[in-house]
Amino acid sequence: MSTLTAASYNTGFLPTWCPGCGDFGIWKSLQGALAKLEIGPNDGLIVYGIGCHGNMYDWMNVYGFAGLHGRALPVAQGVKLANHTLPVIVVSGDGDCLGEGGNHFIHAAKRNPDITVMIHDNQVYGLTTGQASPTAKVGFKTKSTPDGASDEPMSPLALAITAGATFAARAFAGDLVGLTEIMAQAIQHKGFSVVDILQPCVTFDKVHTYQWYRQRLYKVESEAGYDPKNRMKAIEKAFEWGDKIPVGILYQEERLTSEARESALEHSTLIEKKLEIANWDKLLLEFI
Amino acid sequence: MKMGNKYILRVVSMKQTVTWKIAGEAGFGIMSAGTMLSRAFTRAGYHIFAINDYPSLIRGGHNVVTLRIATTPFTSITREVNVLVGLNAESIEKHIHEIQDGTVVVFDPKDKEWTAAEFVTKVELVSLPLRQIVASFAADTIMRNTIALGASIALMGASFDIFSSVLHDQFIRKGQEIVDENIKIAKAGYDYIQKNYPTLTSLYLEKGEYTEKIAVVNGSEALGLGAVKAGLKFAAIYPMTPINALISFLADHAKELELVYKQPEDEIAGINMAIGASLAGARSMVATSGGGFALMVEGLSLVGMIEVPLVIDLGMRVGPATGMPTYTEQGELLFAIHAGHGEFPRIVLAPADAKETFDLTILAFALADKYHVPVFVLTDKYLNESQWCIPVSQLQSTVPIDRGKLIMGDTGKAEHEFKRYALDTEDGVSIRSVPGTKNGQFYANSYEHDGLGHMTESASLRKDMVEKRMKKMLAIQKEMLSPIQYGDTDAEITLVTWGSTRGPVLTAMEMVRSKGKKVETIYIPWLFPFPVDGFMALVAGKKRVIDIEQNATAQLGQLIRVSTGFDIREKLLKYDGRPFFPEEIVELCLH
Repeated sequence: MSTLTAASYNTGFLPTWCPGCGDFGIWKSLQGALAKLEIGPNDGLIVYGIGCHGNMYDWMNVYGFAGLHGRALPVAQGVKLANHTLPVIVVSGDGDCLGEGGNHFIHAAKRNPDITVMIHDNQVYGLTTGQASPTAKVGFKTKSTPDGASDEPMSPLALAITAGATFAARAFAGDLVGLTEIMAQAIQHKGFSVVDILQPCVTFDKVHTYQWYRQRLYKVESEAGYDPKNRMKAIEKAFEWGDKIPVGILYQEERLTSEARESALEHSTLIEKKLEIANWDKLLLEFI
Repeated sequence: MKMGNKYILRVVSMKQTVTWKIAGEAGFGIMSAGTMLSRAFTRAGYHIFAINDYPSLIRGGHNVVTLRIATTPFTSITREVNVLVGLNAESIEKHIHEIQDGTVVVFDPKDKEWTAAEFVTKVELVSLPLRQIVASFAADTIMRNTIALGASIALMGASFDIFSSVLHDQFIRKGQEIVDENIKIAKAGYDYIQKNYPTLTSLYLEKGEYTEKIAVVNGSEALGLGAVKAGLKFAAIYPMTPINALISFLADHAKELELVYKQPEDEIAGINMAIGASLAGARSMVATSGGGFALMVEGLSLVGMIEVPLVIDLGMRVGPATGMPTYTEQGELLFAIHAGHGEFPRIVLAPADAKETFDLTILAFALADKYHVPVFVLTDKYLNESQWCIPVSQLQSTVPIDRGKLIMGDTGKAEHEFKRYALDTEDGVSIRSVPGTKNGQFYANSYEHDGLGHMTESASLRKDMVEKRMKKMLAIQKEMLSPIQYGDTDAEITLVTWGSTRGPVLTAMEMVRSKGKKVETIYIPWLFPFPVDGFMALVAGKKRVIDIEQNATAQLGQLIRVSTGFDIREKLLKYDGRPFFPEEIVELCLH
């Protein structure tokens, strides 16, 4: 019986996020999901991006990798290929994952590694004091878009599903119970799972408040006959935004993971392999 | 060298070395012809070296392979061309200025009926009806190169048998029928020469002396062999000339060698994947050329901060920007040394030939694991894509693999007592754990950090961490390879060089020495940190020192001046994309 609780993951460091930030809910939900899945501080790795979200590692007692802005997914894939039995989770933001790391996100989805990415989606760059992120909706006024954002916003889930992700869910940072459950399901999913977490930025976004979201969110599974295996329907749901915004598992399918397709990993992880080559002379024969 | 009775008894005067050149349109099988002939002659006991020259195209354009075959080891091709095989008229026209007295020019009369009057030099013309022979076998025109190879073997007076085994190994995967067809067609070329040019014996080679097996590898393959010998388990490499043969080597052998080669979406992903795999505990590498490395620079800085082992194969080619992708240059020495924001330790090695590439790659992995630093193996197009020969015995030594300060099971410490970035080390290298290690939890942190990896902005801790990391340089300096001296220690002329330029420099040195001048070469395989004492001991008091490099700004010269204060004023720099000919260096030495 596991003795892990959310408190097992505290480090003694206190969060530096703004009071009321959506990151608190994401942090607590992730601790809850890890405890639920019995992934202890020594049992897994969280790879963080750079942004407000990324500061989470300091108060998260699990092996952590706080790398470069946008590069969390390639690091996570390298770790996963070296040790595919290790749970690997990516904590990223909309700017980190879709702006600086957009190409990595597309290709990670295409490869389907057994990695879960939690995208803190608040439409702004908070750590640099409030510029528009790739998910900023048209008209949204930020420090970099004083007249309102004019580019089309990116849909993280439509992009993920199109590129090949095998699990795509949307959740809300203000619903700890629902978010914890979705995170746990995403981590348990064998393949590339994306959780787009809607998160109010209480400092730089006065529009998309907790209240704003609560008035609009509905559970996709409450819709009669919704089938998360239906790819086209899932894409349609991913784009749904306005008076009604769906949360829940929009899409899920089973497909071989990136690691499962590597014949070298069939019997053991890379880090368990013998380093000496048994058939060295046979290898040299090819060059004679 | 063969001397004495046996030599004199021979009827014809035998050659100890022959340089053979084949040229034609891309897609004519020029490159594979070079490899097959190389293998035929190494199997027969000769030493070989082959270089290629081709444009950045897949079809069309002009491809050339120059292969030198010799009875004894040598370090470079020269300007001498003994055989020129032209698979079209243009191939002869383009190389007509390289043809010397006695060069045998092989052509298909259907392309053009060449006459001696068209050449300034006294050539031996061999009219070989390639298309006609192909037609008589109802074979594909691509097989003209096979006929030309058969003919070439006859011109060098070798037995046809040395070629049939190569054809067998090359084509057996496609079936015995294909092997037989190739042998038949090659033999037709061989027989044509024997029948029609029986007195053309000027290129007959002395018998090959080597009884042991010799491997033919390009530089990329040598690097790949070194990497897997060193226990490489993960490589993420985005395709780029000139390191593509390394990708093929790793991808082809991933299953049997139980390693993972991953093609990333770009070089940024490549280095970050390799960082992840290395952090997790696998020996990892990346490979690229200058443009790709430019994208990796941010990741390199991360390697410096989080102290993971990483081997970087930087295969230089002509820059800046896309430059001339299929041509060679040594333009990134200072880039490799200075790349990355912030300050952190690193090691830069640069091999000169395939054998040394194998050795230095193995060393690179050992150093990366020992010091938790990035280690560069600086190569170039000339090194990566040329075909080199290595006696197999030189590839067979047992390499003990030491993973350095690494714990992968259980640190045995209480929670958070294990400090991944502990400051109390002699050499700056703290013991590392990997994610999953019991009681080894830490943060690999791009921000400045404390012993556990938590972020810090403390002035004193920052200072301590910088000093911990930089302390590694002192430890590394204790095991630097010294520069290597060749030739006359009491030399009138001292040639200083690095990387693949060593080959032509050494050949040039011997050519100058044969004219009675005393010459030496100082070659520097370990470039950073610069081996100051070793270099100064060799260069102090020398009369005439010349820096020879393949770039426009004398990057080694700059490095030497910055590191030692020693200024090499005389330089021979080449930056047209083509490797040095020894004759270019000889010319300078004799003036």
